[in-house]
Amino acid sequence: MSQEDEPPSTLWGLDPVFSAFARLYIKDLLQIQESRQVPGIYFYNSHPIYKVDVLGTVVYKRERDDFFCYGVDDGTGVINCLCWKNEKWRQTDDPPERSETGFNPIAELKKLQEAQRRCSQLEIGETLRARGPVKTSRQQREVMASTFYKVNDPVMAEQIAWMMEVPELYRKCYDKPFQLQANATSGPTVGRVTRATHILKDFLKEKTVTKFRPYDVLELLQPLVCSQSQTKPGDQGQQNDASVAGPSAGQQLRQLLKESLQVLQDQGAVYRKVKSQDELYHVTEHDKDLLIAVKDIIREDSKREKYAEKGCHVLHILSAVRQRYSPNISKEALELVLKTLECNSDVISASNSHYTMFS
Amino acid sequence: MLPAAAVVYFPWEINSGSLQEGESVRTFGRLMNYQPEESKATLTTQHASAQHKVIVHTLFVEPFNAIIGAQYMVLGEIENSEGGGVVIRARVLNCVDGVNLALFQIAVNQQRSFFRERESKATPPD
Repeated sequence: MSQEDEPPSTLWGLDPVFSAFARLYIKDLLQIQESRQVPGIYFYNSHPIYKVDVLGTVVYKRERDDFFCYGVDDGTGVINCLCWKNEKWRQTDDPPERSETGFNPIAELKKLQEAQRRCSQLEIGETLRARGPVKTSRQQREVMASTFYKVNDPVMAEQIAWMMEVPELYRKCYDKPFQLQANATSGPTVGRVTRATHILKDFLKEKTVTKFRPYDVLELLQPLVCSQSQTKPGDQGQQNDASVAGPSAGQQLRQLLKESLQVLQDQGAVYRKVKSQDELYHVTEHDKDLLIAVKDIIREDSKREKYAEKGCHVLHILSAVRQRYSPNISKEALELVLKTLECNSDVISASNSHYTMFS
Repeated sequence: MLPAAAVVYFPWEINSGSLQEGESVRTFGRLMNYQPEESKATLTTQHASAQHKVIVHTLFVEPFNAIIGAQYMVLGEIENSEGGGVVIRARVLNCVDGVNLALFQIAVNQQRSFFRERESKATPPD
């Protein structure tokens, strides 16, 4: 990989692989290129790799005063794992004392340490799992294990699961290039709709609007479209050029409003009571008639024997409100209404999806 | 320093003649017999209505608890034997009795197809 392919270090954190323990094949760990910007960071397919997770058979072992060095073989390659000895392991001279009382915390702690020590001393042929940063020392790749343990895997279940999982991880994640550029170009347009819906929501809330037509709110979004052709240089520069050649500002504005209203409808924040030529939107939370209608349904139906115990199910309320009030009420809108009613203590949720009322 | 990576081969691939002497492999089989005086163990596997034998030289892993009839996983180097055929000089010989071999085969094949896929993608630019 050439230096140009290497994404700038400021963007690395945006790649989730960077902060994860990457489960790369050992073969790849031995081949990945070290970053030219920051030593200790490696690149697999333009993904910055810092920490890795390996599982394999120990085929080589060397013990030093303060660490073990295990050669781990996963069937694709062999890599050294540097496993530091824990300070506490050294003080294992005195055997645990027998105590007359049943539970001796010190003895139990000793046993625990002993168990921990057994988990960290491996013999050739045993299975090791190690996680930690990749290092290159004396031209040799190694894993500086921050955690490591012996995997008790008598029927190879762990190793088989690992073998089946890793190719999937590669296909779904490591082999997919992380494209910041693509995100940067699609970002502003996606962001624009989100910003537009926020503006609309704030407006509806602030002014406690109960119903509106698109042209009432059209000019609220004007700044979003204007800002593109006038202000905000830099990252939106490309968009700028595109918009000059593309649809006019007016068209863009109407398109933006249409998309935003669709989002609000999908969220249930607004709905159209009647679908007609006249595009009239009702604001769910501020629609007194709708709130009353839902309240009435719950009050009446909670008295029925069928619903007396658990309360009315959301889907029952939904079908009732569609019959009695408007066929266009979405489940999202109803949920918003129920939430509002519950906040006002008008109704009580008896379970996740059941509502009742004290009358 | 570090030994070469032991690639998984199925027992029926070991004697196919495609493996070079000295190559590191990993394979499995049921322990059929063990002759400690010769350090020789025989692993067998049924595959496609044929029985496949893998001869293992066990000098480096002795002493080990030989359970006749149990599944073993062996990791070692290919050596040509005098009487033709190959012997695996074992570095690791683990009893893995109870292993789900069907699943293991699927896992090996998935790994192989992944590498094939990746290499076929990688070759054009080279």
